[in-house]
Amino acid sequence: MRRVLLALLVLAVVGGAVFFFLTMPRTIPASALPAHDPDVKNGEYMFIAGGCAECHAVPRKKCSDSKTKDKTTLAGGRCLNTPFGVFNVPNISPDKETGIGNWSTLDFVNAMKQGIAPGGVHLYPAFPYTSYQRMTYEDLIDLKAYLDTLPAVKNEVPPHALSFPFNIRRGLGAWQFLYVDGKTFTPDPKQSTELNRGAYLVAGPGHCAECHSKRNLIGGIEQDKAFAGAKNPEGKGTIPNITPSDDGIGDWSEDDIAYLLETGNTPDFDVIGGNMAAVQENLAKLTPEDRKDIAAFLKSLPPRPNAVPKEKKASKEHDHDEEGDETGDEAAPDDGDEAAPDNADEAAPDSDAGDKKKPDEEEDY
Amino acid sequence: MKKLTMVLITLGGIAAFATIASSAEDLAAAVKERRDLMKKTVAPSAKLGGQMVKGTAPFDADKAAAAMTDISNVPDKYVTLFPKGTAHGEIEDSEAKADVWTDFDKFKQIAQKLKDASAKAAGAATQGKGSFTAAFNDMTKVCKECHETFREKID
Repeated sequence: MRRVLLALLVLAVVGGAVFFFLTMPRTIPASALPAHDPDVKNGEYMFIAGGCAECHAVPRKKCSDSKTKDKTTLAGGRCLNTPFGVFNVPNISPDKETGIGNWSTLDFVNAMKQGIAPGGVHLYPAFPYTSYQRMTYEDLIDLKAYLDTLPAVKNEVPPHALSFPFNIRRGLGAWQFLYVDGKTFTPDPKQSTELNRGAYLVAGPGHCAECHSKRNLIGGIEQDKAFAGAKNPEGKGTIPNITPSDDGIGDWSEDDIAYLLETGNTPDFDVIGGNMAAVQENLAKLTPEDRKDIAAFLKSLPPRPNAVPKEKKASKEHDHDEEGDETGDEAAPDDGDEAAPDNADEAAPDSDAGDKKKPDEEEDY
Repeated sequence: MKKLTMVLITLGGIAAFATIASSAEDLAAAVKERRDLMKKTVAPSAKLGGQMVKGTAPFDADKAAAAMTDISNVPDKYVTLFPKGTAHGEIEDSEAKADVWTDFDKFKQIAQKLKDASAKAAGAATQGKGSFTAAFNDMTKVCKECHETFREKID
């Protein structure tokens, strides 16, 4: 009996030590930062390419609104409804109390490359540091310098409302152990400068893989299915496959891709929607060369079949001929598809009820 | 008398049922018609114009103008195809956000913009590729504005 107890005790201690080690915040030392004169203009460019405002700028009306009032007011407050719970996007304006005004450049780099905030606080990967970690130190230093020029706004954002066990920040350390190494993108010497630039923009600031890739059970990207489409993390439907396969964009030319990034129009002149609309508006502000490089890089990806099946709920724009897929929708017309908590934007009356869903009051026609 | 009442009730019931059934059909028909206008008229015309703009199809002023005119004929009809009960989630295949009904004035306004912008693009086509490209790009901004505001894309 005593032996059993002892064994259990040893196990507990070892387990605790492993947990402690695995979940330890890992940071970059100051000595890793290169000497670099910040280029605020490039910082602004990275800010646009990185889509920082899309999450951190104050939402226009309600917290789930993906539209923002002003892209330089980064006081946070947007809410992301995910299967893990609700993330309330923090204030990253240079306000010293409620924003990141007290962060040093090193602090900022550690958040972007290691997912660690000052004080060893693990950050949730809803903030896509899994991609930003690939950015160069120079670009990050520039970005920090640009953020410092934006208005400081006092705004206390409520903490995330996540379900157990996701609400235990420390546990993220183990996740980061698997998915975060802080390694900057290294250009492939066998490829052209252009292709490497495209690869960098996609992998680093653009963080395209975050939405366009399927994730495993613990929310890590399945690398062998990268860019082959995914479930919409923030609601209904799927995110398209952007590899050059039949399921993806195999029949698009590089010019078609660049044109979409510039204008939002697919080759068939459908208009892209959802969260990609805002992403595209940012991409439209990049140089034509960068859009071309992104397009070239996407065309160079390994062609992959769709990682998740298209939802067979209603026929898609261009394959209206798909038959036999209208099963069982009638029973639950509103959110009969998958996980109910996913689509709080549309259906859940809780968080910001009120300003939508009043279609019956007006009779306009 | 009792019999008559029974008959009347029955008839009334049938009539009511028929009304419901036919109105459900009407709603579905409205959804189909408005989507067909987009998919069979607007998108192919825009695609043709877009190919000329991108340079993947030779610029042809007459064809470009005809395509843009086809688009400009859509909006007036289009806005009449949104009976209540046809929002996304209320009926199959609908991509119309509830905002169409809560902000119908704005919806109509953007439809009018599309009408004007496509008519302008039709006119611009006769002045050469440069003018057409500019007018075409302006028009596609209207597409985007409306889709972003009022469309819930089904994929």
